Amino acid sequence: MADKKIGVYICTGCDIGENVNMEKVVEYIEEECSPAVLKQVPFLCGKEGLAQIQNDVENEGINRVCVAACSPRVMWDVFDFGPDVIVDRANIRELAVWSFHDPGLPEPEDDEMSDPLTMMVRDYIKMSVSKLDRILKPEAEPVDLDKTIMILGGGFTGLTAALDAAETGYDVVLVEKEDKLGGFAAKMYKQTPTKHPYEKAEPPFINELISKVEGNDKIKILTKTSLELIKGAPGRYKVTVKQGQEEQQLSIGAVVLATGWKPYDSSKLDNLGYGKIKNVVTNIELETMAKDGKLARPSDGEPVKSAAFIQCAGQRDPEHLPYCSSVCCMVSLKQAGYVREQNDDAMAYIFYKDMRTPGVYESYYRAAQDDPGIFLTKSEIQEVSQGENGKVLVKVTDSLLGEDFEVEVDLLVLATGMVPTISDEPVLKLGYRQGEQIPDLDLFDGFADSNYICFPYETRRTGIYAAGCVRQTMSMSTARDDAAGATLKAIQCLESVNRGVSVHPRAGDPTYPKFNMVRCTQCKRCTEECPFGALDDDEKGTPEPNTTRCRRCGTCMGACPERVISFDDYSVSMLNEMIASIEVPDDEEEGGYRMLVLVCENDAYPALDMAAMRMKKWSSYVRFIPIRCLGSVNTQWIAEAMSKGMDGVLLLGCKYGDDYQCHFIKGSELCNRRMDNIGETLERLQVEAERVQQKQISIDEYDQIPKIIDDFIEEIEGYGPNPYKGF
Amino acid sequence: MATRIEPNVQFIREMQAAGGESLKKCYQCATCSVICPLSPEDAPFPRKEMIWAQWGLKDKLVNDIDIWLCHNCGECSDNCPRGAKPADLLAALRNMAYKSLAKPAILGKWMSSPKYLPQLIAIPAVLFLIVWAISTGLRIPEGEIIFAKVFPTLAAIDPIFILVTLFVVFTFISSIGSMFSSFKASGLTPKEDAPGIFRSLIMVVKDEIIDHRKFKECESNQDRYPGHLLIFYGFIALAIVTGTIALFYWTDKLFGFGMTTPLALWNPVKILANVGGIALIIGLIYMTRSRLNADTRNAINSYYDWYILGVIWVVAVTGFLAQIFRLADTATLAYWVYYVHLVSVFMLFAYLPWSKLAHLVYRTAALAYARQIDRRGFDE
Repeated sequence: MADKKIGVYICTGCDIGENVNMEKVVEYIEEECSPAVLKQVPFLCGKEGLAQIQNDVENEGINRVCVAACSPRVMWDVFDFGPDVIVDRANIRELAVWSFHDPGLPEPEDDEMSDPLTMMVRDYIKMSVSKLDRILKPEAEPVDLDKTIMILGGGFTGLTAALDAAETGYDVVLVEKEDKLGGFAAKMYKQTPTKHPYEKAEPPFINELISKVEGNDKIKILTKTSLELIKGAPGRYKVTVKQGQEEQQLSIGAVVLATGWKPYDSSKLDNLGYGKIKNVVTNIELETMAKDGKLARPSDGEPVKSAAFIQCAGQRDPEHLPYCSSVCCMVSLKQAGYVREQNDDAMAYIFYKDMRTPGVYESYYRAAQDDPGIFLTKSEIQEVSQGENGKVLVKVTDSLLGEDFEVEVDLLVLATGMVPTISDEPVLKLGYRQGEQIPDLDLFDGFADSNYICFPYETRRTGIYAAGCVRQTMSMSTARDDAAGATLKAIQCLESVNRGVSVHPRAGDPTYPKFNMVRCTQCKRCTEECPFGALDDDEKGTPEPNTTRCRRCGTCMGACPERVISFDDYSVSMLNEMIASIEVPDDEEEGGYRMLVLVCENDAYPALDMAAMRMKKWSSYVRFIPIRCLGSVNTQWIAEAMSKGMDGVLLLGCKYGDDYQCHFIKGSELCNRRMDNIGETLERLQVEAERVQQKQISIDEYDQIPKIIDDFIEEIEGYGPNPYKGF
Repeated sequence: MATRIEPNVQFIREMQAAGGESLKKCYQCATCSVICPLSPEDAPFPRKEMIWAQWGLKDKLVNDIDIWLCHNCGECSDNCPRGAKPADLLAALRNMAYKSLAKPAILGKWMSSPKYLPQLIAIPAVLFLIVWAISTGLRIPEGEIIFAKVFPTLAAIDPIFILVTLFVVFTFISSIGSMFSSFKASGLTPKEDAPGIFRSLIMVVKDEIIDHRKFKECESNQDRYPGHLLIFYGFIALAIVTGTIALFYWTDKLFGFGMTTPLALWNPVKILANVGGIALIIGLIYMTRSRLNADTRNAINSYYDWYILGVIWVVAVTGFLAQIFRLADTATLAYWVYYVHLVSVFMLFAYLPWSKLAHLVYRTAALAYARQIDRRGFDE
């Protein structure tokens, strides 16, 4: 594409034509930008409008199209004129006409000036044209890759994932550290019901699953195998595993992490008698006893005629596991059945904080409740002590029986919880510059989880998808869905990186950060700040990008002080040009203040659209520029805006912190940290630090947009105009 | 010191068999206690009875006075979100009390299941056949139909029913004694300034039995108030009739004035008897309809319910038929129907302490006791 030929098309529908002085807009754009074509079209998105553009593309050689109309978030699939034509949308409907609030400025004397709405529309079109002028045609970087999916963990989740992947046509390597497949599911005597009417425990079906996996020739099974190292990036991982003393190298495309859970350390539960009283066991131990057909008192081998279950043992307790393991209620109901099937007069007590049998499992709870030998009550455990003849005394308080009481049982079972395998050992062993483990697991109590409610299997490492109890505590039926979900994500990853496009959350984005290494000073900021550990480096600290690990947030671009990183359609200089295209009135009395708002595309920009569509109004002194993530904000842009005489810069992005909503997890948090530095610089220049602010907003808070903006404007007006205005 | 609790699984099964089938389904939401119009504010029923039952806590349940405070209107069961049917459980507990409170226990067992019905029928059937055999050799007597020809008052009816009455009264005295001591065992002792048991009893009769006030409060079952009221006053009328006739029989014998049966239709005593009988039948229709219309999702009808309804039906119907056949002068039918009438009357009274009708005595006694310990409903 040698020549850039820009066409500007202004839609006059949707209230735009009636409210904007089009004559002035056209005159200004003609003079400032001199596009090859400049047209006003009523209903640009209609057949005739589109035909006009298509005609210009074909006959006039237009290859850059500025659509000055509605938000890019509507009619998003309409303005497509083939792969060689780049389209940019100047959002003059939502961001200008619909949200316009007349500031009541005096009629301008200066001919250059115009009414505030018209000035706003002119700015957005000019910004778009300057963007189109800078933009490069995005070119993806396809890679040859190995599409083998490695499943870590041969338990129920891992086996299901392996089978799902193989049946979808992918080669699978299943790595299990133990000598047998099946994990905990293979150690169960019975499993909780999986089918209607959900009333009876069932014989485990794990063996069927194991033989299906073993019989599938697309699945290579490596048992008694430990993972030593994962090097590389999605599509081209080099994985080292060790079977006995023998090391093996595997070429892997993507990874499903299904290493599951381990039981909570029951030795910490001596307050409930564990380790002190012989006939106190954990639910795992009881399961083993039942599986071995030896459900008897550990002290003397006598049959168990009565058993008590203490729910949430070491769980939902700040001193132990703070969370609920989600299956223990079901497990205890099942195990109470084991006790009951020994003897028709056997008794099983279940002491719970809350009986949690979600969804259809209510039926299982009801069925257990109907058993005359099962006794359930909410209660707090007061004391566990040794009774006579090897019995265990359990004293409870706050029970439904309306009194404190004690029972004497042959066996006390502690319903202990799940600890994710990944929480305290480096299960993944990544050969990444940022470390071998997924970062910040403590935000999720050690689970490989995320705040992505829409993309639950994503970890902070592209290409590695967590499923099953390593991600969250869950039942087998949920784990089955998890296995399928994570496998599909792994497949999506492979089928994206092979085309050189981004996986998530900018799925399908062909652009990627390009490094101009000549100017790099090896400061390592990009390497260290990338939320996804996409960059490794050499001994000198020169970054080594791994494009397939990258999520295209631009955090590296925002971090780089030398501005060596850019995308084809997103760069520091491009934004600088866009900022430069904003007309800043010399006299705020006459033309009003000017504030730049850099808006995160993920939540804040949709919130703006939603506010405008609901006819919310806000100050007309602001100019919005959408950005990929607040993490991509380069301080250059602030400097550009302030030196141009703009009176303030507002950064509008996602919430950060423990309950972050940032789509790139760390972007808005990093931005906030960088803004502290900017504040210091501004103060050295005798400019109030408060002229640059970051505000957090989530998509459902669109109604707060006018207040956030107007409050900011009011605060800046309090400081008066930018002292550097006009220089 | 925490109480040691030992559930009795066998007792749970017994409660389920006696009509409390769904008791395990309760999840202790307490809707039942909130909706009950009769439940006291302090330790309300039937929520606590539900968990005691689920846990098989026999000691607590057999000493519980609250099962008698319940008038079985069924609002708790209608509103139970879980289908646990608390009303049925309390009815079952009362059935179990009928079975176990009065001695000999064998009668309690026979009354608890239809399979023993033949024995229960056989006792009076044989007894009155023997009487018939002795009086007329099982033949239908000639001439005017006078039932005393076959079942002589002095030689048979009076001795039999006086003995039955003594037996029943004695049984009740002893079982009420054990009921009161079980209440005491559960810690319910009247305070020193509490009214005496007879004063309490009179208060109960005056305050709630005469007007059936507590039945009126039931919204779930509109047929029970008129039904129970009619049967209750029907029986009172028939009791007055029986008492008057017995009295005049003896005044006639001893002093030469009085009445002998059969009475003329215009005789006020006869009129009262027929009015009482009609009230009984209308009441029975109401009660039977309410049983038949009961929504089986919310309530079950136990054998105890059907036994008592059935026997009263037979008593009422055979009473009328005997009169009609006597007036129609169809001797064979009249005598045989009267025979069945006697058998059913025997079954109603002789087995009373073990039947559902025992609530007449137990509930009244328990309500009097409840007054003594000042246990009253939230609205009272």
